[in-house]
Amino acid sequence: MNDLQYRVNFALQVLQSLLALATGLIVLSLVYSHVVELNGWSKPELLAVLGTQILMGGVIRALIQPNMMRLTEDVHEGKLDYALTKPVDAQMLISVREVQVWQAVDIVVGAIVIAVALARLGGDIGVLDALAFAIALAFGAVTLYCFWLVLATGSFWVVRMWFLPELFEGIFQTGRWPVGIYPDWLRFGITFLVPIAFAITVPAEALTSRLDWQTLLLAVGFAVVLFAFTRWFWRFGLRNYTGASA
Amino acid sequence: MTEAAVRVDGLLKVFDVPEREAGLKAATKSLVRRKTREVRAVDGISFEIAPGEIVGFLGPNGAGKTTTLKMLSGLLYVSGGEARVLGHVPSKRERSFLRRISLVMGNRNQLQWDLPALDSFELNRSIYQIPRADFLAIRDELIELLEIGDLVRKPVRQLSLGERMKVEIVGSLLHRPQVLFLDEPTIGLDVTMQKRIREFIALYRQRHEATVMLTSHYMADVEALCERVIVIHHGRILFDGDLDALSDTVAAWKTIAVVVENGGGDLSGYGEVIHRDGDLVTLRVPKAETARVTARLLAEQEVLDLNVEDPPIEDVIELVFAGETVE
Amino acid sequence: MSTTPALGPLPQEGRLRSLADFYVTTMRTAVQEQFQYRAATYMYLVGMVAEPVIYLVVWSTIAEQSGGTVGGLTAGEFAAYYIVWTLVRTMNIVFTPYGWEWRIRNGQLSGQLLRPLHPIHYDLAEFAGGKIPWVVFYLPIAAVLTLVFHPTFDIRWQEVAVFSVAIWGAYLIRTFNQSALGLITFWTTRVGALFQLYIVLELLLSGRLVPLTLFPQWVQTVAWFLPFRWTFYFPIQTLVGDLSNAELLGGLAMQVFWTLVGIGVFSLVWRRAIKRYTAVGN
Repeated sequence: MNDLQYRVNFALQVLQSLLALATGLIVLSLVYSHVVELNGWSKPELLAVLGTQILMGGVIRALIQPNMMRLTEDVHEGKLDYALTKPVDAQMLISVREVQVWQAVDIVVGAIVIAVALARLGGDIGVLDALAFAIALAFGAVTLYCFWLVLATGSFWVVRMWFLPELFEGIFQTGRWPVGIYPDWLRFGITFLVPIAFAITVPAEALTSRLDWQTLLLAVGFAVVLFAFTRWFWRFGLRNYTGASA
Repeated sequence: MTEAAVRVDGLLKVFDVPEREAGLKAATKSLVRRKTREVRAVDGISFEIAPGEIVGFLGPNGAGKTTTLKMLSGLLYVSGGEARVLGHVPSKRERSFLRRISLVMGNRNQLQWDLPALDSFELNRSIYQIPRADFLAIRDELIELLEIGDLVRKPVRQLSLGERMKVEIVGSLLHRPQVLFLDEPTIGLDVTMQKRIREFIALYRQRHEATVMLTSHYMADVEALCERVIVIHHGRILFDGDLDALSDTVAAWKTIAVVVENGGGDLSGYGEVIHRDGDLVTLRVPKAETARVTARLLAEQEVLDLNVEDPPIEDVIELVFAGETVE
Repeated sequence: MSTTPALGPLPQEGRLRSLADFYVTTMRTAVQEQFQYRAATYMYLVGMVAEPVIYLVVWSTIAEQSGGTVGGLTAGEFAAYYIVWTLVRTMNIVFTPYGWEWRIRNGQLSGQLLRPLHPIHYDLAEFAGGKIPWVVFYLPIAAVLTLVFHPTFDIRWQEVAVFSVAIWGAYLIRTFNQSALGLITFWTTRVGALFQLYIVLELLLSGRLVPLTLFPQWVQTVAWFLPFRWTFYFPIQTLVGDLSNAELLGGLAMQVFWTLVGIGVFSLVWRRAIKRYTAVGN
């Protein structure tokens, strides 16, 4: 790919990200033209949520989703064996080999939005809050990774998974808003079934100084447990798969 | 006087291929001014095909065969010259024109992938406005001829390559096209299947008096089916005439690919050495000499492997028309 | 076996009759296929439903915080709006520009061009057929949503009649708009960016995001001059809003108008696109 195509790709990706950002901002403005605060969150605070969601979206689309979709395709087409014969832990290999560099633009955009939100909120963020944010973000990313891997591992049994990105994208949009507004059953679903709350709301709560240490502990604990389960489930699926093709 | 089924006059197809050298400087220059190179895929060819004729279009890859067929079926715009099929200008893609022709491309599927062939046939019936009675008659005739009765209820994607080709051909003949374009129909098929398809085409044409234009780079396809052959290379016609005349010149040669113990040494005494690849030596010998040379090789050399083949069409063209090839 | 004279005309069935046959056959196979792949379709529908549910929850929350209504709508009315939204959405999913991109790239278009039938008929027929099983799949989802979100409905039979026509109007408008966009693939591979822009405009100006009455006046005025409101807002409003018979019929007329515009634009672009395609080939 020559220089020119590189630049065009980059420009188009930036354009797309800005378009998505603009949409988000318009929606926020519309909402706040009717209310002053939503479920206790002010406009700049919700802006921080938006920024976190965009950032996490970038992480997913750049690092997690490409690998997971490649995994489902490899399983479908019987090409997984190539990965299994390498002298590296298979889970590690299938998790890091694909990167969609352009989507990382969203990580930058998200970070900028967060910065703007913090500026609107008064400009300074306590050390503890910043630390909590970093921890929550990291473990939130881990939870999302685990979630995706569990789904992708499902392709060992259910071969067609083409709808995954769109299905996830739809549910991921719930993360634009504080989970408190959702009815109980939905809130439960997007906390423990699809880990949106841990990935987005919790870090955003850290940023806006409303996070209590119990929630943070829960987030970390949940991530650890989920990771262990994911590891087990992956190896279970793998044994099943290689046993079948033997 | 019957009008020609296909008339081509000075047909030209030029592609503008972007040309760019490697390197940053050239890339930036190309931003300002796109340098393009003109490729003449078809360079002024002319011929006429009478109704009911079956003509073979022979030539190596990239010779312009597929491009010509695409122009004659309306898929490609003509750069220059004139083409008329059944009196129509193909690129206008008139509905009445499309109803009377068919293009079958080897390796390409026009039937619905996930559906049984029968369902696709049904769709073709309505697309081509075939009256139901006529449709059923021709469909059943074709299914029987090609013996695909048990294949037509399976989704097309479940069929093997050869089976797929068979149902494709049936699908393309349901509307009884008066001109049939076949682009490399036997490519990728095994020998038995190739024969089967050739037999079918011959039989079909006999029964329904269709005009057939067939392209291939297999001499065998043309030999089996065509009375008349047009040889094309670099977009130009090198030969247009009786197959027999061509056979005399072209099929006058055979190649012997032989692997000899200890590298073989100098085998030029047996025939013309046209290729050497390690232990594998390729010789060209006159057809009449093939048996004698083979016997000599086996007797006088330590032969590990020996294969007698028809020369590939590229070699033949270079050999026979060396004087007329144009760069 | 009968043989036709080599150059004579072929026996031919009537054009309209054959076209109708084509649609019926294609729709029938589309129904079969969709029932075959229902698991994947269900997953897709669930993802699709997430979008309006989020909007619904957000605006209901705002309504409740603001004393019961926002923009003149109660939480129950928002629920009604977004539940009907899901049905309209099910009906207006059409062949996308990405589909055109794929079709051109893998040569399927060449095969279609060889046939005496415009490729748009394949899409219209296939998607229309698919709608039937989709609506069937959708009904349980609608039932669940109704139980959870307590919509308030006030429907007359005339509204239902107009609604069942309006959803097809939305289908047609979106098909031709998106297919026209898809044709741009003949000129550039970056049609995705343009399509995204289209979707954003549609999201804001069609009533897909919120009922248009919640937007400031100037936005509503702009929306009047664009085709988008007739693909979401109008069909939804026929059931949910309080439109008079005149307004209902007037809306249908507008849909006809925008469909014709869509067909016109598509035909214009098609002619030039084919010229370009056949110049370069595949």
